[in-house]
Formats: sequence, C-alpha cells, structure tokens
Amino acid sequence: MNGWNGKILEIDLATLTHKSYPLDMEMAKQFIGGRGLGARLLWDLVGPEVEPLSPENVLIFTNGPLTGTGYQTSNRFSVTTKSPLTGTVLDANSGGYWGMQFKKTGYDVLIVRGKAQKPVWIEVKNGEVAFHDASALWGMRVFAVTEKLGQDNNKRNVLCIGPAGENLSRIAAIMNDRERAAARGGPGAVMGSKNLKAIVVEGSTRPEVMDKERYKFLMYETKKLLAASPLTSQALPEFGTVVLMNIMNNIGALATRNHQQTQFEGAEAISGEELTEKYLVKNQACWACPIGCTRISKTEKVEGEGPEFESTWAFGAQCGIDDLPAIIEVNALCNDLGLDTISAGSTIACAMELSEKGYLDSDLRFGRADQLALAVEAMAYRRDIGAELADGSLRLATKYGHPELSMTSKGLEFPAYDPRGLQGQGLLYATSNRGGCHMRGNMIGLEVLGLPKLIDRFQVQGKSSFVILNQNSNAAIDSLVLCKFTNMGVADEYFARVLSAVTGVEYATGDMIKTGERVWNLERLYNNREGFTAQNDTLPPRLLTEAPTDGPSKGWVSKLEPMLKEYYRTRGWDENGVPTPKKLAELGLAELAEASYR
Amino acid sequence: MIDPRIYETFREIGEDLYAADMISSHGGNLSIRLGDRVIIKRRGAMLGRLKPHDLIETRLDKNDSGVVLASTELLVHRAIYLNTPALAVCHCHPRTAVAFSLSRDEIVPIDNEASYLLKKIPVVTEEFASGTPQMANKVAEAVKNYKIIMLRGHGSFATGQTLDEAFMWSTILEEACQIILAAKTINEPFKEYRAMSEAYSKF
Amino acid sequence: MVRPYGRWIMPNLRKVAGTKEVAITGASVGAVVTELVKRYPALAANLLLDGQIRPHVIITVNGHSTDDVDAPVTEFDVVSIFPPLAGG
Ligand code: SF4
Repeated sequence: MNGWNGKILEIDLATLTHKSYPLDMEMAKQFIGGRGLGARLLWDLVGPEVEPLSPENVLIFTNGPLTGTGYQTSNRFSVTTKSPLTGTVLDANSGGYWGMQFKKTGYDVLIVRGKAQKPVWIEVKNGEVAFHDASALWGMRVFAVTEKLGQDNNKRNVLCIGPAGENLSRIAAIMNDRERAAARGGPGAVMGSKNLKAIVVEGSTRPEVMDKERYKFLMYETKKLLAASPLTSQALPEFGTVVLMNIMNNIGALATRNHQQTQFEGAEAISGEELTEKYLVKNQACWACPIGCTRISKTEKVEGEGPEFESTWAFGAQCGIDDLPAIIEVNALCNDLGLDTISAGSTIACAMELSEKGYLDSDLRFGRADQLALAVEAMAYRRDIGAELADGSLRLATKYGHPELSMTSKGLEFPAYDPRGLQGQGLLYATSNRGGCHMRGNMIGLEVLGLPKLIDRFQVQGKSSFVILNQNSNAAIDSLVLCKFTNMGVADEYFARVLSAVTGVEYATGDMIKTGERVWNLERLYNNREGFTAQNDTLPPRLLTEAPTDGPSKGWVSKLEPMLKEYYRTRGWDENGVPTPKKLAELGLAELAEASYR
Repeated sequence: MIDPRIYETFREIGEDLYAADMISSHGGNLSIRLGDRVIIKRRGAMLGRLKPHDLIETRLDKNDSGVVLASTELLVHRAIYLNTPALAVCHCHPRTAVAFSLSRDEIVPIDNEASYLLKKIPVVTEEFASGTPQMANKVAEAVKNYKIIMLRGHGSFATGQTLDEAFMWSTILEEACQIILAAKTINEPFKEYRAMSEAYSKF
Repeated sequence: MVRPYGRWIMPNLRKVAGTKEVAITGASVGAVVTELVKRYPALAANLLLDGQIRPHVIITVNGHSTDDVDAPVTEFDVVSIFPPLAGG
C-alpha cells in the first residue's frame, strides 16, 4: 500500500517528549485520512468528560494519502479537536503549503496532547522532533512569527496562532503559511491552551504512488477538466469567490444586519467586481493548484490575501457596512491576529443588534466601518468590549439575555447564505456536525448556480437527499484531503480513481462516498456521546419564524421541521437523530454502536 | 401528492427518450430518489406519454401500498439507490449501444465529448430478466463506479443527481456509439487526437 | 429591464452596455437575451455558444434563477444576467 506514510507522531507537551508508532492501516483504509481519520482518532482519545480547553483535549493534525503527491490541490491538511466554541467534534482544513510539507516529514498524523509549562514551538524535520522555547514569540502576531521562524514556501512551513489563540478566544484560528487559516470552531484556542505557539515542518520524503501510469493519466485528465470548466479556469481565478455577492443579493439570500434582512443595499459596493476593479493586485495559488483562486488585494494601509466572499460578507452586509477598504483591512487584521473572520464579523453584527436594541451597553452600531478594526483588536486581546465578543455570538447574546439574536447553529456562526431563501442550505446548517457551516456540504451549486442542474431553492420535499449526498461527498473529499473547488470542474469519480491509483486499494466512486457517509455518522455518534440530540439540529427562531418583508425571498421562512424528519429517515437515524444499529452495522461502525447508546 | 414540477421533468424526458428512438412504446424507465422514497413509472405506463397518475411513489427500503402499481423494474432501481449515491436513474434501450454491447465487454468512445465525460462504458452480462435480484445486484454493483453502464443485449443504466443528468449520460452514450459505427462505415485509418487515450479502457 | 452584472471575460458586459440597466422588450428570457445581443453584438462572445446561452451563465427573473429560456417576462420584470460564478 502506498500513499500513506503509515506513521503517527505523538507529542506530549507536559513532558516535552514524543513517540512514533504505526498507523493502523485497516483504520486508514476505512477512514482514508484528513477529516475522517481525525474523527476516528478523536473518538478514542477525547471523551465527553474532557473540557475543550483543558490539557486533556488533543489536537490531531492529519494529511491524506493524496497529500503531497502533486495531484491537483493535494496541498491540504486538516486539524481535528473538540471545539471550544461548539463542544462538538471539530475539523478544520487549510491549504497553502504546510499540509504537503507535513506529509513529507514522513508522518500521516501528528497528535499533540497535554499542556506545556511555558510557551513552546515545535520543529519537525523529517523524523526529528525538537522543542523550542517560545517565550519571545508569545504575544507576537501571525505574520511576524511566520517570518521569524523561517517560512519558505516549498521548503519550510510555519503553522501558528496569533494573540487571539493565546488569549483563548473561542473563535481563534490556526494559521499556516502566513495567511491560510484552519479557521472555524476555535482550534486556535485549543493550541493556545496548550501553550503551543507554532509548529514548523520540513521534510524530504516524497510520497510514493502505487500505479504510476494510471496516476499520470488521471492527473492529465484532471488538468484537462479544470482547464475546460469555465468555473475553475475563469470564474474562480478571474473573479474569486466574492463574485457571489451580487447574485446572493439579487436572489434575496444575502444575510444582512445579523439576518434582519436578506438583501443589502450596499452589496454592489462590496462586490467582487468592485474588489477586482479597484483593489486586486494579483492572484495566487496554493501548492500544486492550477486554479489559483486566491487573490491579493491592496489598500492604502495593507496588502494581503483575500478577502474571500464569506469574510467580505461577515464584515460587510452582516454588519451593514459598505466600505470595502475597511473590510479588506479588517480581514488582514484578523489573519494577523489569528481570528476566524466569519465568526468575528457575525459576532460584531450580533453585538450591534444587541446594542441598537438596548440590551448591551456599547457604541457598536450597524454601518459603522470605523468600529471594525477596533472591535477585532479588542477581541483578540480580550480588552474592553472585546472581552465580551471573544467567545462568539452565542455566549455574548446569552449573557445579555437574548440568545435568539445569535445567528448560529450549535454555536457556530453562519456564513453568508440566508437559509430562508435557500431551503436546502438551512437543512445543511442545522445538521452540520460542527455547527452552522457551508463547508460540510454546500447547496449553492444546486440551488443557485445550477451545478450540475438547477433545483428549486424553495422546494422542501426531497431536499434531504441532495443535502445528504453533498455532506457525504464533502466528508470524503475532506478525508483525501483535496480542495473543494476542484469539485466544480472534476467529478467525484476522478477522486476515487486517483485514490485507488495512489494507494493500490480499489475504491469505487460509490465506496468513496460511502466512506464519507461513514465519517459523517461517526462524527454524529461523537456529538451524540457529547450529549447533542435532535434538539440541537435547529436554526435561530428568526430564520424559522420571521419572513423577509421584501425581496425575492419575501414571505419565506426556513421549513426546517419537515426537511429534518425526512433527513433523519433518509440517513437511517431514529427520531432523536441517533444512527440506528442497522445503519452503523452497514457502515462498519457496529463496534461503536454500543457506546452511542451508553 | 407528487409535485407537478417533478412530473413535468419525467414527462419531458420520457417524451425525449421516445422521440430519440431510445425506447420502445412501453420500454425503458425513469426514477428519482426523494429522501427515503422512490418515484418511478407505473407498471405498464408508456414513458413517451406519461400522465400524472403514471408516477408511483413508494418506499425505498420496504414495500408499501405503492409497490403493487410500480414498474417491475423497481427492484433494480431500489438496489441502485441503496448501494450508490445516485439520486436519479435513467434506463433505456439505445439501439446502437445495445448492438455494440453484443460483441464488446466495454465501449470506449472515440468522439471528443464522450471521451471527455465517460472515458469508457463497461458492459455487464446477466441473463436473468429485469425484476430479478440477480440482475438488480449486478447493475447496482456496476454503477457504483460508472455513471452509465450497459447490460448486454438489453440496455443502459445511467445515474445522476437529477434526471436531466442521467438522461444526458444516456444520450451521450448513444451518440458515441453512432459515431463509432459511422467511423467503421467510413473505414479509413483513425487519426488519434487524444493524448493518453490508450488508458481509457483502464478508467 | 435587463441588468447585466459582473466583470466578464473581455469585453466587460457592463462596459459594453455602458450602463447598469438596459430597457428591453421581449416576451421571454430567450427573446430578451437575443435582443440584448442584437443591440450589443460584442456581448455575443460572452453570452452565447453555438447560438445558445452559454453553460454556467446565470439568469434570474426578479431574483429567481431560471434555466428555461422560454420563461415569460413582462415589462415589469427585471432580468439579471451573471457571468459563470463559482465559490462558496
Ligand atoms: S482553488 Fe484556491 S484554495 Fe483551492 S487549492 Fe487552489 S488556490 Fe488553494
């Protein structure tokens, strides 16, 4: 078997020791790598008694069998932990270079346990592990640390946290290669709680491919497909993701002012067109990626990656702000401080609504672009109002007596798409294992862009099948680990074949999607074990009861209830949202079944 | 009550299949998966002339009142849904493709579009007729790895997220086979224009 | 009323049209697009492929996506046209 290195590196920060042991290959075949393998390991390592920010929680960094092979977008890694924001299983993945470099060190998995007595950073050079004092780095921001530790794209790559992670903000990101983020759900806080500032990797073991001929052929075909699709060859590189702003606004599904409206009058001013015209400097790509969707933008004050659609929306429409330079600057600031942009923006929006309604005493107001950078700084250092915002909108709104104003599922802030105008998206948010999120499956392709075919966005009946297929397919891609944008030009069957070619283990397309289903169910079991039930699969009351009063989604609320019932049945779960023993047996998770009913 | 939009799609694609000579009057079948349910043609209905009452809704995992009215091919459609991620199935009898299935174990297109999208179409053999579990399992196993497959001497099974998609694979297959046939008739040396095409049959 | 959006692959749709909105009469989505291209022939390369609307071009009528060129429109409707979009 190739593709996997077959080795796990485990580090205990309490004793500053490490050990290496073989990866259970049966487990690897069943869960592939990345998110799937991470979830499986977390299941064994972190039970319900563990507090997310305690030394007993672990960080599991994984790559996948394709990582580092050079297959298109095989650059990513994934980090798994128990989320300090949501309390659920958490996986976040990120591109750039770090993932492929990590693979080249010779390990598939890096488990970090315990807590260091004082700040440290870790250096993994091929098989060698070194612990370094990080006292001088503590407090330093992301860009400075990345440079200081010798970031060199193809040779040596730095992953770190910023002040937000150090200060245990529950919406802190882990940053790699300067501006790439494993952002959602607060993995940066877990790293901070361990007194771990950075992990630097350097390696030279290039992963071996089993069937080189077949692999070469599939690479070639993938290249052709990516070049032929107008989405991956033009739309993404030329317009970036922000181009979604105008269409989401046009169809009345652009969440605005903490989801009080579904259209933003300032959308054009913060659109992809505007960004490209006035602020775009150039495009950039992650390692081994021919798409190159990343955009470097520049204002008078900053030059940096992004902003992506979600970030632009979070600080823009969600806060009622149409000042694009201010948004670009706060996006860069979040990267430097190590904060999740979506959660940061949406939490500020929540504070704005709380303040306007008189529930919170602050001068945050919708539309005030001048407040963005201040609020974000304060958040990362837990200063003043920032101390209230640093743990996300649900904790904030709950503290001030109005949890219903937090636009979250399971405590994770939603991205830009308002589910009242996109019924399937609402079901996705409600059922996502890590909380309200669009990366666990995205219905925008089907409900808006017509990929592969347009389906009615208001239709409720039968939506669950599309949502489930999307979730399973994404879980599989996250386990490989590839970038989801490739999926806009290349069908799942290519991924299954390239996985077979690299590893020598045959995966039919259906088997690969089945693996995604296995991962999804295991994550669900994990959440069940943590005490999550059907009651947590929900949306804020605003989205279930307050219909927009104008725009194309006028009169619609999320019809979650019937979709959810259908979803559970289709998943093979009982009414409480627990996978049935029959389903678990089918997925080869039977031995875990007992635990789920404990 | 089946959503009128769903009926419309069935009706249009049924008409098109008949008009394109890809089915006989009562042949072929279409179905979609809606959550834990399947919508499929009624037993004996004509795909080219579907009426709203010609669509039957039934459970995916076990029989209910709908099942007696459903097409005998329900079994194979169910097997596909239970074993693959498919959300729609299009089964038809594309004539040229059926003819090629009699002599080949796989059909490797030579035209650009099908080369691009299908690479190759495997042919599976099962002499048990439609409606038998043997056939259902064989077909379900094959479509696990291919968007469209041929059942020797019988017809094609295509899957997709939507009916349009499954229908599209079916027409692309038949077009590809007609082109192979036409090229054979012309019978001049083939000028290869696709790099690495020798690998298609391994796809 | 037609609203072309987006910075299209050269030439820029909005730049060609010189405005954010164009008033056009046509009974269906297809008729409106045909008329638009007639008026601004430079748009043909962006909008059409073999005489048909290009794949991945997105059209909404009053904010509702449609892939049906025969969808009827009246003088009160707003048709918006977007270049191929990706992301999420
Ligand atoms: S598409 Fe964008 S995010 Fe994905 S690998 Fe390429 S550059 Fe990175």
